[in-house]
Amino acid sequence: MSSTFSAMQLDALGELANIGSGTAATALSGMIGQPVDVSVPNAMALPLADAVDAAGPAEQQVTAVALPVLGDLEGIVLMLFAGQSAETLCSILGVEAGTEMGFSALSEIGNIVGASYLGALGTTTGVNIEPGPPQAASDMLGAVVSSILAASAETADIALLLDSNLIIEGTDAQVSFLLVPSTKSVNDLLQRLGIS
Amino acid sequence: MTSPEIMVRMGEHAISSKGGAALVSIGLGSCIGLALLDRSRMVFGLAHVMLPAAPPEGPGGTPGKFGDHAVPALLDMMARKGSRRTGLEAVLVGGARMFAIGSSMDIGARNEAAAREALKAARIPVVAAETSGSTGRTIRVLPEEGLVTVKAAGGKPTTLYGG
Repeated sequence: MSSTFSAMQLDALGELANIGSGTAATALSGMIGQPVDVSVPNAMALPLADAVDAAGPAEQQVTAVALPVLGDLEGIVLMLFAGQSAETLCSILGVEAGTEMGFSALSEIGNIVGASYLGALGTTTGVNIEPGPPQAASDMLGAVVSSILAASAETADIALLLDSNLIIEGTDAQVSFLLVPSTKSVNDLLQRLGIS
Repeated sequence: MTSPEIMVRMGEHAISSKGGAALVSIGLGSCIGLALLDRSRMVFGLAHVMLPAAPPEGPGGTPGKFGDHAVPALLDMMARKGSRRTGLEAVLVGGARMFAIGSSMDIGARNEAAAREALKAARIPVVAAETSGSTGRTIRVLPEEGLVTVKAAGGKPTTLYGG
């Protein structure tokens, strides 16, 4: 089983992330009543330690929502709200960041936005993808991302990250999306797309 | 004053000695920061353990990644810096449960158990630990003073051992 990917395979996976985050942006926009832009997604196959670095400064405080991915594609979707972005989103929703209410509002955004991202992936690829129950944490970025990688990469040395950002127009607030599929799932998915 | 630091990233391991750079692992979640201290010869090691055990085909080029290989790998490197097996001490930080997803997810506890078992096999006592819970942590091993500090997410660094 290969754990390296060709440029063409990464492009195809990036395109999937693009479709997923476009749908997720629409869902987020509906929740907050403001237009949301999508950055060009990145599909990266990186050594694990580099994958943690690619997510951002390890010591940065973030609110993270993890959605387990079940069904034919296994993995985890991680949504990250960094400091200022968490505050901006909470104020749009009329709750205070750093409080129980704020944490719960961000968890709910993560849940709905993450589920729509996965729904779009499933529809596009024709595979059965279901979101599991979400888990939220407020902690150091490095601690969150490394724990997710340890759980889904298991003994693989390379992690595949599909990274995209939702940017709330007129603010600098953004939600980062990371899809970390298990290596086996990715190979199955590429096979289905005819580019294995 | 900022002293130089060696970043020991996920799956990596490194050593330092008096006059050398601090050893740092930032943002330990379910990972374990496994520090070995030889305070009489002032040689120190840190491994950023990610998983309890290596796959059957072995640890590859990253013994520091696995609880069952990190201790011998550090001992090897430290011995080359003049460390001896007598009087070694260990400090453990991390092993949190950040997310309660699935039953296989409590890798933190499994990492800690594997690290403790490997240390027991090498007859090295664990002199201090700040593990489990659900908080990310940063460990620093300061070779100048022979200190280990720990900093929880959003908190201030505190001395865990030494000095």
